[in-house]
Amino acid sequence: MAPPLLLQLSWRNLWRHRRRNAILLAAIAVAVAGVVLLNTLLRGMQADMENSVIDNLTGHVKVLRPGYREDPGIQRGFEVAAGWSEGLPADAVAGWALRVRVPAVVMSERETRGVQLVGVDPARESISFLGGVAIAGEPLRGSGDRRVLVGARLAEQLQTTVGRRLVLVTQGADGRNREAGYRIAGIYRAEVGGLEKVFVFTGAEALQATLDTAAVTEVSVRLADAAREASVVQRLDAAFGGLDVYTWRQLEPHAAQMVKFADAAVFIYFVVVMGALVFGLVNTLVTAVMERVRELGMLRALGMRPWAVVAQVTIESTLVMALGIVLGLLLAFAVFAAVADGIDLTAFDDSLASFGLRPIFVPVLATGDVALVAAMSLALGLLASFYPARRAVKVKPLEALRR
Amino acid sequence: MSEAALPAAVGGRASRRRTGAGGLFVRVAWRNLWRRRLRTWLSAGGLAFAIFLVSATVSLQGGSYRGWVDTATGLATGHFQAQHPAYFDDPAVRHVLADGAALVRALGAVAGVVGVAPRAEAFVLVAAGERTFGALALGVDPAREAAMFDLPRRIVAGEFLPRQDSAFVGTALAANLGIGLGAEIAGLGTTAEGGVAALVLTVDGIFETGQAELDRSMMLAPLAAVQAAFELGDGVHRLAVNAADASRVDGLQPALAAAVPAEARLLSWRQLLPEIEQGIRLDRISAQMIYWLLMLVVTMSVVNAFVMTVFERTREFGMLLAVGMQPNAIVGMLLVEAACVWVLGAALGLALALAALLPLGVVGVPTAMGVEGMDEMTTRLMMPDRLYPLVSLAAMTMAPLVMLAGTLLAALVPALRVRRMRPVDALREEE
Repeated sequence: MAPPLLLQLSWRNLWRHRRRNAILLAAIAVAVAGVVLLNTLLRGMQADMENSVIDNLTGHVKVLRPGYREDPGIQRGFEVAAGWSEGLPADAVAGWALRVRVPAVVMSERETRGVQLVGVDPARESISFLGGVAIAGEPLRGSGDRRVLVGARLAEQLQTTVGRRLVLVTQGADGRNREAGYRIAGIYRAEVGGLEKVFVFTGAEALQATLDTAAVTEVSVRLADAAREASVVQRLDAAFGGLDVYTWRQLEPHAAQMVKFADAAVFIYFVVVMGALVFGLVNTLVTAVMERVRELGMLRALGMRPWAVVAQVTIESTLVMALGIVLGLLLAFAVFAAVADGIDLTAFDDSLASFGLRPIFVPVLATGDVALVAAMSLALGLLASFYPARRAVKVKPLEALRR
Repeated sequence: MSEAALPAAVGGRASRRRTGAGGLFVRVAWRNLWRRRLRTWLSAGGLAFAIFLVSATVSLQGGSYRGWVDTATGLATGHFQAQHPAYFDDPAVRHVLADGAALVRALGAVAGVVGVAPRAEAFVLVAAGERTFGALALGVDPAREAAMFDLPRRIVAGEFLPRQDSAFVGTALAANLGIGLGAEIAGLGTTAEGGVAALVLTVDGIFETGQAELDRSMMLAPLAAVQAAFELGDGVHRLAVNAADASRVDGLQPALAAAVPAEARLLSWRQLLPEIEQGIRLDRISAQMIYWLLMLVVTMSVVNAFVMTVFERTREFGMLLAVGMQPNAIVGMLLVEAACVWVLGAALGLALALAALLPLGVVGVPTAMGVEGMDEMTTRLMMPDRLYPLVSLAAMTMAPLVMLAGTLLAALVPALRVRRMRPVDALREEE
């Protein structure tokens, strides 16, 4: 029998029971839309976590001197030769920054706290969260600016404000303490509030002068094209012999692990939700076959081949599934469009911050995942038609006609 | 449909013998179910699938939350803390509760309290030789602290505060200062009056918690030493209070609140560790989205099953109506059929859930799931190494009850068509 005819038969069969097929379609659509939407939440979290880890002064790739991670300090710094960046593939790199990052104790008139003092070239920090923060007061003017930029939460704890002075104690290159006063240029607000308590920024050259050194402690590189990470790592390895080159996955393994977990979760959602759907799908298909026993027997008696019977049931199942998937995806896109601007999770701020997440949550629709869910659902539709199709083939023409 | 006559005959008898009609309904409904054996099993299977998954995961979640709270509060925070009212927002040395010993006695006397640990603390500059780092000096009662908390057990080297002038420091702080056991350190701070406070201590123990913040910036010392250096008398900044476990915390709160004197403020772990409290709420909400989706999809499948059932039995219902059965009685019978399907599904689902949970309750589930690198994550979030499911009545009844409502509704919607049926038309309907 010609395939177009089979398709036509299956299509018409669907319309014989509009009500129940409508409910089945709705169930498939809800399940598909649910899996896709849950997945956009997870992908959003994954992207956010990756971004905020990279923003959090980590970058995609970082060069450190061996031992710096265990015992950070200017003694574990290194000097950078001019022109080191010339070998970097320009189209793969979004930007890079040299930083002097040392532990320090900060004291206001009233309070004392431990912080990370980071000397930066403000013009280069578009690659980190510092490039996007809101600043009350003034930003740093340049690498030679001797004033500091402190986070809003730290300023609150220190009970200080713009224009006031802070004393910062840190270790110089010779191992002896440097205690110096700094004026507060501005107070920044970061999207991940926890960062505000950790980082105090000042000009890199100014800090080098205070510490009596020409060294930096890190080179951070942000990629424009994450796929070219390996080649950038290779170039940095060559440019900085004897130093360690880390990717953000090595520096923040827990975040990398969460990102991996998100890749697996789409399958978990699929199995749970679509697993529930299978019961209803098989139920409907078996009924559709059992109702048509006489009809199928007649078709067999007229010479329809067993494979054509199987094909008819399978096509029917696949058609319902395909329609359901289309409806489900439309539903998912509609809901997604409504929340694409972000979901306000400010009520969970502290917890999100401990995962490095921002309080405004933006779901991400990954085309690959949508295609995967659609493909797996179609495959499931085929699989679910196996048993009903077998029942249909078992129909014996004579017995069926006698009923 | 030869069986179609059966319910009619039985129904007739039911109207004569009013007593026992309910039991009869159940019997007829039960028999009706087995006319479409596969459909019944598929509907019950869908219900069982949802009930199993939801009940088992809710129990696992309940257990993991309890374990998470106990591990997080057990490190050093405690289930409750009594503090100076201003200390939580502004941890300054001057915000002190005057009579520490009396408070320890008062809180320890509350029924249900298993331990009270007084603490005095101040930010100090820790100096060792040429190097200086900032740290929080936490003055503790060594015996009470060791009995109640996990931090004293996280020893990498040495002992936990064996002497009056001992210091117990984090690994990162020790590394930053470049010191080991036996080193002399000085902690310099400012007293409430603005004078200089000096703590001179010997490092007798080094700890590692895996919490970078604690390992880098915390130093424990005997309570008396910190009180003396900061001229606090017997003053303390906080008293950590523990219940037997996290599940008793809410029950203990009222009695404890009554025992806390007016000049102090009682905080529970929910306020002290907001990231854990919110993490639990967030986890619960995200899991609930899956639960409701799962149960919705199963309910829709059951609706479909009953739509098919009602459609197939149109002739039968027409006959029943024609011989005088009330439409509502037919609706009722369909509802009883739905309830029977639910009983099958719930029994199967709960049996599977218990079969999975009871062994896990003995051996536990590794929190990191054996995933490489996950243990760092769980340590950072202060989660326990193993989780044990918490099988409770609430966890095991939530999904079955929701699915009971769903199943009855699923049967009711198509069953209401029976009320609109006209016997003559229904009888004329083809099979």
